Amino acid sequence: MEALVILAVAVVVGVIGSMLGIGGGLVLIPILTLFLDVPMKTAIGASLVSVIATSSAAQLVYVGRGLTHTRLGMTLEITTTLGALVGGLIAVHVSGRSLQVVFAAILVYAAFAMGSRRVDDAGFVPTGVLDTSYIDPRSNAAVAYGVRRLPWGMSASFVAGNLAGMLGVGGGLVQVPLMNLVMEMPLKAAFATSNFMIGVTAATSAALYFGRGLIDPHVAIPTALGVLVGAQLGPRLAGRMHSATLRWAFQLVMVVFAVQMIWKAVR
Amino acid sequence: MSDRSRRSAAETINLMVHGVLAVGLAISATLMIAGVAAGLAQDQNLPKIVLSVGAALRRGAKLQADGLLSLGLFALILTPFLRVTGSVVVFAKERDWRYVGITVLVLAIMIASLWLGQL
Repeated sequence: MEALVILAVAVVVGVIGSMLGIGGGLVLIPILTLFLDVPMKTAIGASLVSVIATSSAAQLVYVGRGLTHTRLGMTLEITTTLGALVGGLIAVHVSGRSLQVVFAAILVYAAFAMGSRRVDDAGFVPTGVLDTSYIDPRSNAAVAYGVRRLPWGMSASFVAGNLAGMLGVGGGLVQVPLMNLVMEMPLKAAFATSNFMIGVTAATSAALYFGRGLIDPHVAIPTALGVLVGAQLGPRLAGRMHSATLRWAFQLVMVVFAVQMIWKAVR
Repeated sequence: MSDRSRRSAAETINLMVHGVLAVGLAISATLMIAGVAAGLAQDQNLPKIVLSVGAALRRGAKLQADGLLSLGLFALILTPFLRVTGSVVVFAKERDWRYVGITVLVLAIMIASLWLGQL
């Protein structure tokens, strides 16, 4: 019975998350812990499993369209996986309460960071570092670009991987703005490449959680299946809803969840 | 390396990534759905622990819910490992040793994480 509730919640989160372009973990973990009495670390384990599923499904589309910069992704994976390993080790050793407080802080950051993205794909040029190109699906024009500040990208990716491993979120929250604003990649390629790395990052910490008995099939399976189904439905429903209103409502919910999580942790 | 051979290497990688993810996702989703269906048919609650690999294979072969669900989770977590392993193979075939090194390093970190979980 509880599994059916989790499944239904996960479908809804998958739909909304895919419409807004954010991973489900940010909202799923608070719902699981606040309303369904799932322990924090079990919720993180379930979220990691669903992150692997949804990022793999999305990657089929991105890589098929040639939007993913695989060489760059693989290079940055060195530090994201290292971050995920360290984050996973931290998570299994500290208390669930401490994780809730850190999670709440990230949730507030995410709520404010949403919607402040650079959206244009123009003005990017080859730089001589990892130059590549893709065909823009909308304009059918080839976009050639390279990356800048690779050492910065490598260091910041460690932080992204660390958050992913410690809190069970995808890490796109850090990775996409990093690639777009610091490494100066087009937004579409940043989304695709971040998504490409997320599966490997999440699997790294999921492997650690799995060994420690923190993957609970009773929570993880309905979560993964639900988000997977929801994420396929989301883009099909997107046209029928007012996305600015949806985004605003979502930001509000995230802040409310953050407050509740801190309250629950310190009480 | 010439531009043309680099381009064809990128296409080979994309095909490999697409293939591994599609097969891994299909297998794991099928096992999970079959596990949930078996659980409903046998009127069981979903299990709370993941079985060992051996036990999951034995029980999965008998179409028991807990075995199928554990196998589905294994398949899902293993898919990114196979994607990275596939990249090592493709880069080795292309004799792109720098990227062989990068992907081997990533795989080593992933395996270290799996191993640290067992401690």
